[in-house]
Amino acid sequence: MNKKIFILGGGQSALYAAREIRKNNRDAEITILGEEKFIPYERPPLSKDFLLNKRIDEDLYFCSKETLEEEKINYLNTIIIKVDFENNILVSEDNKQYTYDTLLISTGSKNRKLIINSEVDDEIFYLRNLEEAKNIKEKALGKKNILIIGGGFIGLEIASSFSQLNKNISLVEVGNQLMGRIIPNQIADLVKQFHENEGNKIILNKTISEITKINEKYKILLNDNTEIISDLIIAGIGSIPNVGLFENTKLKLDNGIVTNEFCETNIKNVYASGDVSNFYHPLYAKYMRLESYQHAQNHGLCAGKNISGIKTEYSSIPWMWSDQFNLNLQLTGICDDYDEIVERGKRIDDGIIHFFLKNKKIKGACGLGIAGKVGRDIRITSKLAEKNTIVDSSLLSDQSQKLNKLIQK
Amino acid sequence: MADENWIEVGSTDSIEEEDLIRFDHQDKTFCVYRLTDGFYATDGICTHEAVHLEDGLVMDDEIECPMHQGIFNIKSGEALSPPACDDLKTYPVKVDNDKIFIKIN
Repeated sequence: MNKKIFILGGGQSALYAAREIRKNNRDAEITILGEEKFIPYERPPLSKDFLLNKRIDEDLYFCSKETLEEEKINYLNTIIIKVDFENNILVSEDNKQYTYDTLLISTGSKNRKLIINSEVDDEIFYLRNLEEAKNIKEKALGKKNILIIGGGFIGLEIASSFSQLNKNISLVEVGNQLMGRIIPNQIADLVKQFHENEGNKIILNKTISEITKINEKYKILLNDNTEIISDLIIAGIGSIPNVGLFENTKLKLDNGIVTNEFCETNIKNVYASGDVSNFYHPLYAKYMRLESYQHAQNHGLCAGKNISGIKTEYSSIPWMWSDQFNLNLQLTGICDDYDEIVERGKRIDDGIIHFFLKNKKIKGACGLGIAGKVGRDIRITSKLAEKNTIVDSSLLSDQSQKLNKLIQK
Repeated sequence: MADENWIEVGSTDSIEEEDLIRFDHQDKTFCVYRLTDGFYATDGICTHEAVHLEDGLVMDDEIECPMHQGIFNIKSGEALSPPACDDLKTYPVKVDNDKIFIKIN
């Protein structure tokens, strides 16, 4: 009998795992159980090209339905309400049972929600999936004033898109800088200036005290008594791993599903990948949970290999990007454990990068530039961080010299 | 008549080994590469999103997009790594008297 492999969750990590398993195993029955009616699609364009009407639904799918059929990967749109790890059974909302030999959990993460008052809480929009992006796009039609709560990647990307559609943006962030969880403040300040030059109002160090609905508008009161009137409120205040289904089971949870470097959980034949996994990173010798495109993909591929019996350690250097206006922000490695910062470049047009070093070795870098101006050097940084190489900081800071030589054989 | 389609890009020493330069001709833009075994040319713009590959990283026979790390084979144009899905168009290249030419049409 062919092995039955079920993948819980229908996002990027699930799809890459499924295709990797198929590449290595012609006969396994592979089924993705997704809660969305759409086959797996790219999320990064939702806050950018999709809002800007440059791309539509069909442009976002990682692969076509036909490709899934050809590769014999089943996509079932269903909601699983119970996992029985003793008997390897998944139970769906419509009371169907699925028995697995191997289970991969790639349920991703969900929006952290604001709780202000019951009158308006349900009218605050969030953007994580295609349905939510469609709702926001529809709701924003004909509206002029938009309040964005949260100055992370998603809030800033939405601010950028709607600003390009000539809307008035106010963005309120509780922290003293934008993107404070991961981006160094020097780079975050440049992003703030850029948004302000484009006309966006960025308000730091403030919280929302009260929101009142007046006719079709909202009156927002900040904790310093500033008032903002808005037609639409969108919040992007972080996400939490989607693990509700596994509470009170024997699956080990701690800020997500705890996995080792091979995507294995504490239960035999149960794996986890992507946003939902708090995985052990052998290079950093610690557990981490990442929410990024690159991670969802590579972790899925790694899970797929391990499920196929190809023992593969996951040791990717973290990398993420955000596109706002014509700016491209990139971050690689770890930027919060350093004893030296080396700056490269002075102008956003040419790209500005801050390298974070410890004991002369590059640990991470964060760069900001027009379009792809920082990409090559950030990529070189990833390679240097992976190899723990000692580097000459005078070369890093000299933009007239290409860094390629640092990685050439 | 056949030679009319060969457009001069520049001298061979204008590109370092395992590197590339941007070349614009009329309303089109290209990347011209110097690999260990010769010169190659592709379209200049990534097939994923409109960003020029001139700022990308050349590694062995591959070019990696500087914006989202899509990877293409320089010789065949094949898209090797997501988010790039569509292949990159490639162009014939020849070297004559230390000058590089690409055939655009």
